Amino acid sequence: MAVEVRRLTKRFGRRLVLDEIDLAVAPGESIVLTGPNGAGKTTLLRAMAAVIRPSSGDILWFGEPARGQHESRRLIGMAAHENRLYPHLTLRENLIFAARMCDVARPRERAESLLEAVGLQAHGDRLPPVFSKGMRQRSSLARALIHDPPILLLDEPFEGLDADADHWLSGLLQELRRQGRTLCFVLHDELKVRRLADRVLRLRQGRLLSDAASPAAVAHWSPAVQGLSAARVA
Amino acid sequence: MPETASGRGFVGYLGYAAVAVMVAAAIAAICLLAPTEETMGDAQRIVYIHVAVAWMGLACFIFMAVAGGIYLARRDLAWDHWSRAALEIGWLCCSLTLITGSLWAHAAWNTWWTWDPRLTTAFVLWAMYSAALVLRSGVDDPHRQARMGAIVAIVGALDVPLVVMATRWFRGVHPQSPHMEPAMRVVLGISVVCFTVFFTTLLLLRRSQLRIADMLEDMECGGLPPLSETAGDFPRVLEG
Amino acid sequence: MVKKLYWMISKDLLSECRSLRVWPAMLLLGVVVALMFAMQADLPPERLRQIVGGLLWLTIFFAGTLALDRSFAAEREDGCWEGLLSYPVSPTCVYLAKLAVNVVALAALECVLIPLFAILTDVPLLAHPGPIVAVAVLGNLGIAAAGTLLAAVVNTGRQSSYLLSLLVLPAVVPLVLGAAEATRLAVEHDFGPSWWRWVQLLAAFAIIFITAGIVLFEYAVEE
Repeated sequence: MAVEVRRLTKRFGRRLVLDEIDLAVAPGESIVLTGPNGAGKTTLLRAMAAVIRPSSGDILWFGEPARGQHESRRLIGMAAHENRLYPHLTLRENLIFAARMCDVARPRERAESLLEAVGLQAHGDRLPPVFSKGMRQRSSLARALIHDPPILLLDEPFEGLDADADHWLSGLLQELRRQGRTLCFVLHDELKVRRLADRVLRLRQGRLLSDAASPAAVAHWSPAVQGLSAARVA
Repeated sequence: MPETASGRGFVGYLGYAAVAVMVAAAIAAICLLAPTEETMGDAQRIVYIHVAVAWMGLACFIFMAVAGGIYLARRDLAWDHWSRAALEIGWLCCSLTLITGSLWAHAAWNTWWTWDPRLTTAFVLWAMYSAALVLRSGVDDPHRQARMGAIVAIVGALDVPLVVMATRWFRGVHPQSPHMEPAMRVVLGISVVCFTVFFTTLLLLRRSQLRIADMLEDMECGGLPPLSETAGDFPRVLEG
Repeated sequence: MVKKLYWMISKDLLSECRSLRVWPAMLLLGVVVALMFAMQADLPPERLRQIVGGLLWLTIFFAGTLALDRSFAAEREDGCWEGLLSYPVSPTCVYLAKLAVNVVALAALECVLIPLFAILTDVPLLAHPGPIVAVAVLGNLGIAAAGTLLAAVVNTGRQSSYLLSLLVLPAVVPLVLGAAEATRLAVEHDFGPSWWRWVQLLAAFAIIFITAGIVLFEYAVEE
């Protein structure tokens, strides 16, 4: 399994935010976390990225503990709500710094190729605070991809994007799926969920309500497999 | 010694009575048994309390650091209850050390404060205790509070020997223990033992209170509320 | 690890050079405090020589705390701190990088304050620059070591800056005492056993607190 979450519980102070979550994501699989506001989706994603420490339970990346060796963080790329770019470094400098922190060989070339991939090569020498929302999302994605991680965690990547940027991002994510990366999104848009996800996990009030194959994924399966599949309820 | 905050039960009351008797015995020994010092007279008797609370202030600090270290290793909030209790009792003892030290200094040298190495160390300890109390009071999350408290306690504990060395060298003298007759030493011993028991009892009580308060808060906050049976409150991606 | 340390230090210094958010305020605060102290210390020269070390190091401490606090506060913008911790880099490396940047900041402060105190008080602080520099380096390491760790604790708890001074000052009492005394002895050209004893205390403080920082930093920054 690419990502395994075992009996994950997280409290912030006295407040229980995640309650004994169990899930497993196979390599190359694309899962979506949905649910109302406050369901714990972002917290679950951050826990899967080992950004926050679980109150109890384990997170494993390809069988290794997520909070074990810090080198294993190379396996994860995360694009969160905040763009995680230093405001006084140019976009190019930010990407080069990220590449160096992740031990990327030839960080400058890598940064340039990613600027091109996200369509921001003209803005490489600008400072992040002047970026539009769409540009910030693209930069955030570039930063998450800088070290070519096999697992990508994306928190509402389409939030605030205009139609063009939305279309571009959908295409990029389809391409990442095609490359066999493991993707975990937080999404609300039902259409996108159908298009991008192999499985849909519904959370509510910190609990995993359901874990089912998305209809779009099911449509591609053989009739025999469709007949065998059943909603996996936590 | 009783485990519960209220200390109900015969054994509990017996324990409290014993502690009260010990404190009374210590005060009686200080007032009646200890000989009157030649130069300072009766004012010198304050040193018997001063030494006892000073020792407890230091002991609580070290205990707080050890309990904090164990919390960091085990992440069991029970150890933080010990640490917090030691912080509060230690702050109290340090405050009393400064007050009794000032009173003694005024009686001995007609000055309310002296940069005597011991008093200076007590002041630094008191400042660190106070800072730790303020730091903890601004944090709601019990585990975050415990982590921060543990780190501050460990930093402080590492600092104490350096403070002692620096203040001794700064004054240019090694502190002389005041000359004490055998009877005075006996009374000092009684006072230190009795007040140590007293403050340890307070620490145990306070720790019990913290533990119970924590349990009550956990029960109030509880887990997640039961899920309501609702339909269509957000997009159902599984429906056709 | 050394390369990542270098890149993190470069990143912080570059950000500061471009934003100029902390250092000017720190230097200005240092100058104002120095002037206030000098104004009050209208004493005969021999008395001034005895107290100038203490005044200097208190000024360095109060102004330097600004830099210590901002070294983490600045990272909190735009989720950069979470980003930094998500890299495959050990917390020890992050601590040492922050420590190094704070040492540089304090060194910049001293480059201004030491000559300023020498001018304001007429005490020959720069007559023997070698020993003064040695004391400054060790003092910087000690303040930065304790201050970086405690700044991480305070900023993780989202507390105010005032709390950092409240925490760091009692902790660095032996260091301020030691640095002040070593400075006084250096001014008096007294490099006997007393001076070496204070220098050893400063070195011991720095070693103990750098070690404590390396061990405890990970606990200070976890969420």
